[in-house]
Amino acid sequence: MIRDAAGRLGFAPSLVVALLAAALVALVSITSGAYPLALGDILSVIIGREASDPVASMVLLEVRMPRFLLGFLVGAVLAVSGALLQGLFRNPLADPGLIGVSAGASLAAIAVIVLGNTWLGGWLAMTGEWALPIAAFLGGSCTVLLAWRIANRSGQTAVATLLLAGIAINAVAGAATGLLTFYANDEELRSLTFWTMGSLGHAGWDDLLVGAPFMLLALLAAPWLARPLDAFLLGESVVGHLGYRTDTVKKAAILVVGLGVGAAVAVSGLIGFVGLVVPHLVRQLLGASHRVVLPLSALVGGTLLVAADSLARVVVAPAELPIGLMMALIGGPFFLALLLRTKVI
Amino acid sequence: MISRLLVWLLLAAAFGSSAQAGDSPRVVTADGAITEIVYRLGLESLLVGVDTTSGYPEQTESLPKIGYLRALPFEGVLALKPDLLITSEQAAPAENLERLARAGVQVEKLPSARTPEAALERIVTVGGLLGEAEKAEVLASELRSKINRIQQASATRGNPPTVLFILAAGNHSVMLAGEGTSASALLDAVGAVNAVSGIQGYKPANREAILASRPDAIVIAESTPGQFEIGSWPEVERLDAWQSGHRLVADGMLLLGFGPRLPDAMAAVNEVLPAPSNVAANDS
Repeated sequence: MIRDAAGRLGFAPSLVVALLAAALVALVSITSGAYPLALGDILSVIIGREASDPVASMVLLEVRMPRFLLGFLVGAVLAVSGALLQGLFRNPLADPGLIGVSAGASLAAIAVIVLGNTWLGGWLAMTGEWALPIAAFLGGSCTVLLAWRIANRSGQTAVATLLLAGIAINAVAGAATGLLTFYANDEELRSLTFWTMGSLGHAGWDDLLVGAPFMLLALLAAPWLARPLDAFLLGESVVGHLGYRTDTVKKAAILVVGLGVGAAVAVSGLIGFVGLVVPHLVRQLLGASHRVVLPLSALVGGTLLVAADSLARVVVAPAELPIGLMMALIGGPFFLALLLRTKVI
Repeated sequence: MISRLLVWLLLAAAFGSSAQAGDSPRVVTADGAITEIVYRLGLESLLVGVDTTSGYPEQTESLPKIGYLRALPFEGVLALKPDLLITSEQAAPAENLERLARAGVQVEKLPSARTPEAALERIVTVGGLLGEAEKAEVLASELRSKINRIQQASATRGNPPTVLFILAAGNHSVMLAGEGTSASALLDAVGAVNAVSGIQGYKPANREAILASRPDAIVIAESTPGQFEIGSWPEVERLDAWQSGHRLVADGMLLLGFGPRLPDAMAAVNEVLPAPSNVAANDS
């Protein structure tokens, strides 16, 4: 049954709360960091005046700003992708990690890192600066498509098959990544290790330039899928009766997820848990309608990721924790608590 | 003795001059060997932060750690308000180094040292960057004469001895050092050759390959002391070299750092190589 949001917290008030939370976390992430900035300097930079600390404007505008925006986008895209997949597969366990999208995207990205100078030289020459995100996008899309094909024989999505297929795809992608790791030299190896833990530590405007178009496209396309996905909740046969083209909806959802997750993985490495936890959280509070779940997942996902990143860069300052690690540390116990409290997902 | 005296004199002179200059530079080092050089030059008072590969000497513990040199944070480093960041060419990500440079930090990426000559050159470079070029020259020439003594001694050996070089990063992750590694560079420096050929970089140890290598000596680099337990590696224990005592288990940073302790590392390896000559660096 599609639960309407009306019985629970209203959509409009919760949207306002989520927007306020996002604004708050934006403020925190831009004003806090390892480098101490006086409030006066921050204000001066914002209104475009000369700050007393000469590096203040650089820290704010070239480091914290793009990092906040990138973090928010990545969090939003991962959460929305999780929501889309859970809706599409009608399975609460579907998340980009579990069905192998992240693994596929990261395998492709790692292949570019390791083989970029040798076998994939042509790819690099062809795609230039965009080599990594496009590869991650292709890798991500192919794996979702594969998982879906395997689980979707004879027109029915076999849930157990899907998860098993996801596990198998993860294993194969993991092995291929391992093989690449084996052949990587020391330098490539260590950048790989850090890459798989996820990081926004290098984020700059150029990362946004490369990743943001894909991620924005995915975010903007997602709302069009809300109504058909609500129909999916009633069962796949109903989708057609309600006038949606089942196959088109599925393909569109998969394309959006591959696009978004591919780009997110390409710019930030592997960040888990957002995609799984956030849609559940939103559904718990507001009901299962995708017209509510999708936009709020985007807001909550972005907020959560930026909050985790703000923590990751101050707890062990002057060093930084990998964001993927931080996310799992926060997300894991949080999800468990949610499970224990409700006992129903 | 005389060189010691000279060092002290130079140190005194340095103190005098830096006192005159007023502010001494705030320095961050991100590379274990470079940090060692700073300490060896007695300039540790300039350090305001080091990376996690800088574990020697123990006093580095008390300094703020900026994380791993291949994942340097921008704000974290900048928060230490350094004037100078000395690191190696392995430092990453490039974006953050470039930003630090634009924020007014002098960023110096020094090439990795893979030969004794390059190691000494790096000492002189670091000394120069810290305004102590002469002191660094003195240290370098002191180390050079030790290295020369060791190399002269090892040159008297006829056939170069073969050495099995093992990297122990955990008892269950034991790697063999192949070509193009600091380990094989160290063997080169003492006139020995790697007992396993055809491996590039560090690769997981194949137990049969260990047996088949029949080395004249075994060198094991540990990432933390006491990590390598011979009991778990019967095939290493069975090798003639291990039985006859031609074996060395030592700290990885000492052996592979190519820092100011390079002569000590060379002497330690040289000592376990088969006769004719066992030469130690006399005064260390």
